[in-house]
Amino acid sequence: MLLPLLSAATLLLTPSLAVFQDEAFHIDYHFALLGAPKESTTFFHQPNPASKASLIYTLSEEGALGAVNPRDGSLVWRQLLQGQHQSNASFLRAGEGQDLVVSGSLNQVAAWSAEDGRLAWRTATDGVLRDVEILELSDGKEMVGAKDAVALSGSHGAQSSVVRLDGATGAVKWTYEFDGSDEAYQVSASSTHIYAILLHKTLLGYLRIRVVSLDPVTGKKIDEYMLSSENELATADTIVSVGANSASPIIAWTDAAHSTLKVNVVGSKAISSFTIDQHAGETVARVQVHAPYHINSLSHFLVHYETATSHWADVFHVDVNNGKVTKAYSLPKLAGKGAFSTSTSDANVYFTRITRDELSTVSSASHGILGRWPVTSFGVVSGIGEVIEPVHAVSEVSVKGDAVSAIRTVVLLSTGDWILLRGGTATWNRPEILASTVAATFAMPAEVEAFAERLQAEASSNPVSAYVQRLTRHIAELKDLPALLVSFPQRVVNGFLGTSEDDLASDNFGFHQIITCATRNGRMLALDAGNPNRILWNRQVADLKKEQAWNPRLASSKGGEVTINSQAGTGFRYNISNGEQLVSILPVDVEGDAKAAREVRFTMTDSALDATVDSKPAWHFSPASGQTIHSLVPRPVNDPVASIGKVLGDRRVLYKYLDPNLALLVTKSSLTLGPSNTATFYVLNTVSGAILHASTHNDIDLTSPIATLISENWLAYSFTSAASATAPKGQQLVIGELFESLVPNDRGPLTGNQNYSSTISTPEPYTLTHTYQIPEAISKLAVTRTKQGITSRQLLALLPDSGAIVGIPYNALNPRRPVGRDATKDEQAEGLLRYNPVLEFDPKWLLSHQREVLGLEEVVTSPALIESTSLVFAWGLDVFGTKISPSFSFDILGRDFNKFQMLGTVAALGVLTFVVAPLVTRKQVDQRWKFL
Amino acid sequence: MAGQLPPPPPPQWVLDLTSTTTPSKPKSGSIPDPPGFTSTTALTTKQSKSSSKAITPRKQPSPDEMDTLKLKKAWELALAPAKQLPMNAIGMYMSGNSLQIFSIMMVFMLFKGPITAVLNIQSTFQRLETETNRTQMLGVKAAFVGCNLLALALGLWKVNGMGLLPTTRSDWLAWETAREPLERAYYVPS
Repeated sequence: MLLPLLSAATLLLTPSLAVFQDEAFHIDYHFALLGAPKESTTFFHQPNPASKASLIYTLSEEGALGAVNPRDGSLVWRQLLQGQHQSNASFLRAGEGQDLVVSGSLNQVAAWSAEDGRLAWRTATDGVLRDVEILELSDGKEMVGAKDAVALSGSHGAQSSVVRLDGATGAVKWTYEFDGSDEAYQVSASSTHIYAILLHKTLLGYLRIRVVSLDPVTGKKIDEYMLSSENELATADTIVSVGANSASPIIAWTDAAHSTLKVNVVGSKAISSFTIDQHAGETVARVQVHAPYHINSLSHFLVHYETATSHWADVFHVDVNNGKVTKAYSLPKLAGKGAFSTSTSDANVYFTRITRDELSTVSSASHGILGRWPVTSFGVVSGIGEVIEPVHAVSEVSVKGDAVSAIRTVVLLSTGDWILLRGGTATWNRPEILASTVAATFAMPAEVEAFAERLQAEASSNPVSAYVQRLTRHIAELKDLPALLVSFPQRVVNGFLGTSEDDLASDNFGFHQIITCATRNGRMLALDAGNPNRILWNRQVADLKKEQAWNPRLASSKGGEVTINSQAGTGFRYNISNGEQLVSILPVDVEGDAKAAREVRFTMTDSALDATVDSKPAWHFSPASGQTIHSLVPRPVNDPVASIGKVLGDRRVLYKYLDPNLALLVTKSSLTLGPSNTATFYVLNTVSGAILHASTHNDIDLTSPIATLISENWLAYSFTSAASATAPKGQQLVIGELFESLVPNDRGPLTGNQNYSSTISTPEPYTLTHTYQIPEAISKLAVTRTKQGITSRQLLALLPDSGAIVGIPYNALNPRRPVGRDATKDEQAEGLLRYNPVLEFDPKWLLSHQREVLGLEEVVTSPALIESTSLVFAWGLDVFGTKISPSFSFDILGRDFNKFQMLGTVAALGVLTFVVAPLVTRKQVDQRWKFL
Repeated sequence: MAGQLPPPPPPQWVLDLTSTTTPSKPKSGSIPDPPGFTSTTALTTKQSKSSSKAITPRKQPSPDEMDTLKLKKAWELALAPAKQLPMNAIGMYMSGNSLQIFSIMMVFMLFKGPITAVLNIQSTFQRLETETNRTQMLGVKAAFVGCNLLALALGLWKVNGMGLLPTTRSDWLAWETAREPLERAYYVPS
């Protein structure tokens, strides 16, 4: 009797509010991320040439361009560049003393205001961009106003070209097209020339470096020559560096074995050759060149050698007059990996070296150490026994006399954290690794799950044994009493101030679930959903080659563990509270609850679905001709349903079509075929392969995302319909609900049979659908999940265009909303309103409220231990999480509960009792003595 | 100013006050009764004079008469709940069908009254029951129970109106179980 009453009560509460004002910013969390910054596109720069305050600019591997305040690591502004692909080269440059930063990605060169990130101009080039540079001309007359940009572009096999773009407007000043089909590599500007470096492929397949020098003013070719001998360069990978925008740009390359380093000062044909020391037989794995990026700084550069276990560096000087390169000094070899950064102050060049435990700065002129700071801790977490290494760094140095007075260094660490070191102390860190999350799941800590199981056992056993169990549990808990008493005052204070950060073990509501995220580069990290600002652990779980995809799938089969299945291997299990790998003793069955049911396994190949029973083929689904499978969503394995029917206003029942073996399949016309773009949505019975419902939509914009969802007895999908002669382009959200029968109180042909087999008879559901016109495209749909499924549902939709996540109450979409008439009294009692084809997203539904959440791709939900609440975690570029109560928090006190008022009332009543008690006694005694 | 009008007749109350037609002797010696006070003795004497019949002392009713009287009284008691029904019905109608503390309390009282009355039926009619009218008393009691049942029926009607009676399919939905499929399909990512 309790369940239907409760569900009736929750039905009565029409959820109109998704986020309360006092909960916003408290129950939700958001990491506004950029992604791992790239070394070549990260720098300090003054957004306002008049002031000395600088910001850190970066264009990350995720294609996000942004400025970060070096004081606290907060994001100042951010822009998502189109083409969020890590394989594409992208560039970010800022001219000295300029208030614009110029970015280049794909074929777009764009200039952004350095202060607030507004777009100044945008220009498209013919081919894919190979390089973008700022022209720093020394002839004075060009220096007024914005500095011009030079862009080198060239598609594979097509003609490459250099364009000069006006710094203020982005207009093309001149274009130079190269002859031949040499691959454009890089462009470099000195004060007098523009050098374009192209790679010429010889007949034998080797590469030769071709340098073309252009006049910056007219764009005419001045000179052209070839560097490197016939068979030196096999691939472009061994070209170490092409220094740009310095007094004497250099080209450096090595042979494939990293045994010799060859350096050419661009503009001269002389090549200096240096042998790379082979220390103790270790092969040099990587050679990097760090050179200053300012046209009037000393032409010194540093070459950074790296082996698997150590690193060292040499500093070279270039004689500007004759183009001779000489080795000045070496920095000693140190164990582990290191990072070098180059900073300039006037003409002086400083190199900063960051190792595992130390930060030191040297001048480029001599090897004397100007400043040295021990780094005790980077302030980030890592896996057990993992040594955190710096990957790359950028520094800002201020020098007084012969010593460095202050140094700020932003370092990307091997854990994926981006931190700032002020001197040697870590000031802030940004967990940029979260931006490359590809899979995430919620998992319950083992203690919490054990607690939940005990409660469950108490609830389900008979009262006497439940009481005994509870008593023994409380007696067992008595041993924690002293500790509790000690911490009690603190807890009370915390409870009042709302700052309680109770630990994972004592989480009675299930809010402190652990979110494990697998990232693109093979790491896995864990967050506490109740206290998300702290990363619990962060470890490497897969050793991936560069750009190798591993498609991880995370699952938490039981408490305290997470299982990761990927292309790199299946069934790796980890302890979620510390990241320790668990030794797999038994092969883990992911699905777990096989019970006695016969298993049908189905897989999706490129163009068809195939199911097998006991390794014999069961059924096969192939889409209609001209159609391909777009996506398949099976009903979640763990999808609790509180009630098998819907109670109508007159208290009759409409039975839901509940079958765990449902899947929503989407097929769409393959883009190459035919002008009419259609998509068909099928509801399949995955045991028999029967199609239970199908609907086809014509004229669909197939380039837009199609989001699908199936849960309980209903399905939802969203698509964008293309503009046609009769209708404009628009987004639609379709919701369908499956019933056993549309006649109330009828359970359909199978009535109340306890067991049934879909292969023998598949009763067809009666499907009601409604289509709503929605204001913007939905990229992903999800649904809230609660422990027992009593709480009403909310449909979670990611809105990529407005950077938001919206929670639509199911009742607003209910397919039983009456069409063309007002709701009757009984329907009103159910909360049904007249159908309106246009569904506006109520601003109150926005779970992300004021936050701008960019680039979200996926969203997962998880039930908390209390019925009212569902945890939400969304990731993509940003990471956003919250907890929502679609039927309000009916089983927990909200933040609006005034504890002070309650305690005040109790105290006042107590005092009142004490004051009044003697008065009352006296009056009673007096009354006895009074004669009537 | 020729002729003066004759003085008006004195008003009735003056006459009443001044009349001493029934001079009553005061009860307590010296103090006279206030003007206009009519002593009860005077009234009774008047009445007795008018009815001209002497009051005979009340004679004890015979056992038969006593039985009749008791039966009459018992019927009155038995039908009392029925007389309250219309008022109760109006009250119930007024209090609405929503689940509120007020209507819940009213319904509770409505149930409590008849049930306690039926339980206390023996003590209610004990005084009126004699050896001789026992058989007739059975009918009276039946009527009493009937009336209380009517009141109960009113309560039931009210409870039904409030939707608290498990008379519909939805009330038994929690005891209906979902069907268990014999097969289970799993998606295996290829």
